Amino acid sequence: MGKDLVQLRNIHKSYSGVEVLHGVDLDLGSGEVLALLGENGAGKSTLVKILAGDIPPSSGTISIDGTELARLDVYQARQLGIRMIFQELNDAPTLTVAENIFLGQWPGSGGMVAWSEMEKKAKEILDRLQVNIPVDAIAGSLRVGERQLLEIARALTQNAKVLVLDEPTAALSSVEVDRLFTVMDQLKSQGVGMIYITHRLDEVARVADRVQVLRDGDSVLTVKNSEIDRTALVTAMLGKEAEKNARPSAVKTSKPALKLNGLSSRNDYSNVSLTVNEGEVVCLFGKIGSGTAEILESIFSLRPVTGGSIEIFGENFTPKSPAASAEFGIGYLPADRQRLGSFGIRSVAENLAVTCWKKMSTLGFVSQLKEVQAFERWAAALRISSRSGSTQEIATLSGGNQQKVLLARWFEANVRVLLLVEPTRGVDVGARRDIYEIIRRQAKESNMAVLVATSDYEEVVLLADRALVMARGKIVSELTGDSVDAKTLVSASS
Amino acid sequence: MIKKTSDKATGDAEQAKGFSIPQTAPLIIFLLAMVIFFSVTSEYFLDIENFKNILVALAVTGIVCVPGTFLMIAGHVDLSVGSAAAVSGMLLAQTVNDRGIAVGLAACLVFGLVLGVINGFFVTIVGVNSLITTLGGLATLYGVALLAGNGQTVMMFGFEWLGTAQPFSIPLPILIFAGLAVIGIITLRRTSYGRSLYAIGANPNAARVVGIRSNRILFITFVLSSVSAALAGAVLASQLSAGDPNAAKGLELEVVTAIVLGGASLAGGRGTLLGTVLGLIVIQVLNNGLILLDIPSFWQRIAQGILLIAAVSFDQIRQKIVSQKG
Repeated sequence: MGKDLVQLRNIHKSYSGVEVLHGVDLDLGSGEVLALLGENGAGKSTLVKILAGDIPPSSGTISIDGTELARLDVYQARQLGIRMIFQELNDAPTLTVAENIFLGQWPGSGGMVAWSEMEKKAKEILDRLQVNIPVDAIAGSLRVGERQLLEIARALTQNAKVLVLDEPTAALSSVEVDRLFTVMDQLKSQGVGMIYITHRLDEVARVADRVQVLRDGDSVLTVKNSEIDRTALVTAMLGKEAEKNARPSAVKTSKPALKLNGLSSRNDYSNVSLTVNEGEVVCLFGKIGSGTAEILESIFSLRPVTGGSIEIFGENFTPKSPAASAEFGIGYLPADRQRLGSFGIRSVAENLAVTCWKKMSTLGFVSQLKEVQAFERWAAALRISSRSGSTQEIATLSGGNQQKVLLARWFEANVRVLLLVEPTRGVDVGARRDIYEIIRRQAKESNMAVLVATSDYEEVVLLADRALVMARGKIVSELTGDSVDAKTLVSASS
Repeated sequence: MIKKTSDKATGDAEQAKGFSIPQTAPLIIFLLAMVIFFSVTSEYFLDIENFKNILVALAVTGIVCVPGTFLMIAGHVDLSVGSAAAVSGMLLAQTVNDRGIAVGLAACLVFGLVLGVINGFFVTIVGVNSLITTLGGLATLYGVALLAGNGQTVMMFGFEWLGTAQPFSIPLPILIFAGLAVIGIITLRRTSYGRSLYAIGANPNAARVVGIRSNRILFITFVLSSVSAALAGAVLASQLSAGDPNAAKGLELEVVTAIVLGGASLAGGRGTLLGTVLGLIVIQVLNNGLILLDIPSFWQRIAQGILLIAAVSFDQIRQKIVSQKG
């Protein structure tokens, strides 16, 4: 296991004057798996992009196979056998497995694809990975995990020596994760060096020979597998400042507003029981795919429930349709604001009033005055800045202001239960605190129960009266008061 | 986040003032240019009777344009209206001759309702793209219209008033269209149904997530569209005193052209009925002028096709300029 396959030395990288990597070293030997850990913004992506020739370093040297390279571009990186596997699939779902493995490089001549040759070669590659997928199956009909393996297979058609896997397990079930690890073991024995980027600490011990932790553009820790210590890794990832955030004062209530009794939905989450009291803000914390957002989707009838029950203010509630959920007094704010939340080309006033047109109309006619008044009232209360007032298109506002409009949409509708998924995604830091304060204040003032699904531990610390930590579809721990802190959250969810 | 700096007029000014000036200004200029040109080149153009002709000619299309605009705003289209009008006309002619006017009109209404339910069913419940569903309807119903009269025109006796009566010396079709247009404008601007159409067109996924019953609303709109096509077919048959399977041929093209000329976005979320009315006027003035100048009628089709493409291209270019400014 030589250390000579990849050698990055003293890599610096600046974007428009701001340095994001401050002299990072990285070594990778053939047949070695290096786990790269770090919070968002630590510099992991920048570092591997430099290795893939995507972006040039500001300074530092790159050696591949012992040869120092003056420069490295994408084309050269491919020639040298460096391949990236991303979390998002880059396949053609309507084509067959074999076609996908050779995507764009189909064997054949004169513009004709040699199907039998292609399928034979595809089978060889899949056999090499010990993966049993029919080569003539349509990629789109496969499971996500299998499609991810196709991406690896595609990388192998071009003789990969270095494989960078960027959070490949984020969307996979535990069976699929095991399968991926088996494939990685295969590749290891064939001398492929791998850089494995992940958030999941338990995977690190299973798969990695060495672990390197980045924090704020510095390499802060490198340890061998045998020396991996969970607490040390978490501390290295978070640093000291994670403890600085002060907790909001807790709300003391006891009247349950939303109750889930053993709620399950297929493979997304199972047997989840929880209670949110009136005026209380409860955060479901977990990695993306751990089931947090999925529970909220089920309550708002966007995802089927396969077991258990929901109680709202003591009344049994069966999700039927989003419209019925809204009529029952439930509000829902999705994580994907552009796709599911806002009506980009319509005005802010309309975006706010969309939940309340029935309430704002007399004899079936919507009062535009009430629409504008509602916007102006909330704009003042939530400090929404909109240059041309109520008529401005919502897409032209900043993320934070947009989110405030979408929150006000449900406040105006007087919902009793508010479900928020990643409420500050794409919101700048300044507006975040604003939004936390707004949510907490509104919950208290109108006795609204708020359930938040988030993968941002800082958000939990700043927003939650109580936190429930989820991992792989189950609630794994409950934290209250001052026990809600970043380290406990990250450690419990990993 | 994309921040546009200078494009505040396109979005909701159109809502507040009926139609936005930057978007419809070229259309108004084009219309004025045509009026001046035809006034100079034809002595018959500037004449109150001719203007009545123009309005009567656009009234039939206009009736269908009202729910047509609703659908376009919600991001959908109904191409079956032309053939539906043809079937309605054939149905009317035959039932009026056999059983009288009331039964004839009732039959048209029932036909419109049933067709709307079928279109609505395929689009909202089965989930077939509206373009495909109604394209199928266009072909099928044209066949039905031909079958109904064995490919021939069916004469209709004693029911001319719907198409030709002139209360207060205004032709009845114009009054029907004007009434529907006013109701339509109010519906779009002031009812939660109308506002929901904009929301559905602007972002169908978000519409669902805020609790709008999108399917129900679309279903209703498809029914309105088919009923309006049936009514238009009846008016047309009454004007002609006959059910003619080819009378409404190309109606769907005229409807879509008028709506798009009027500034509705094919992608949904934008558009006004006043804009559509302006689009209708442009098309009819062009047709009328070409007739007065004795230009063969084939040219009307050619002109209309070019107009449609020009209107859409203009909208695309405008959007590109707007997004570049951002």
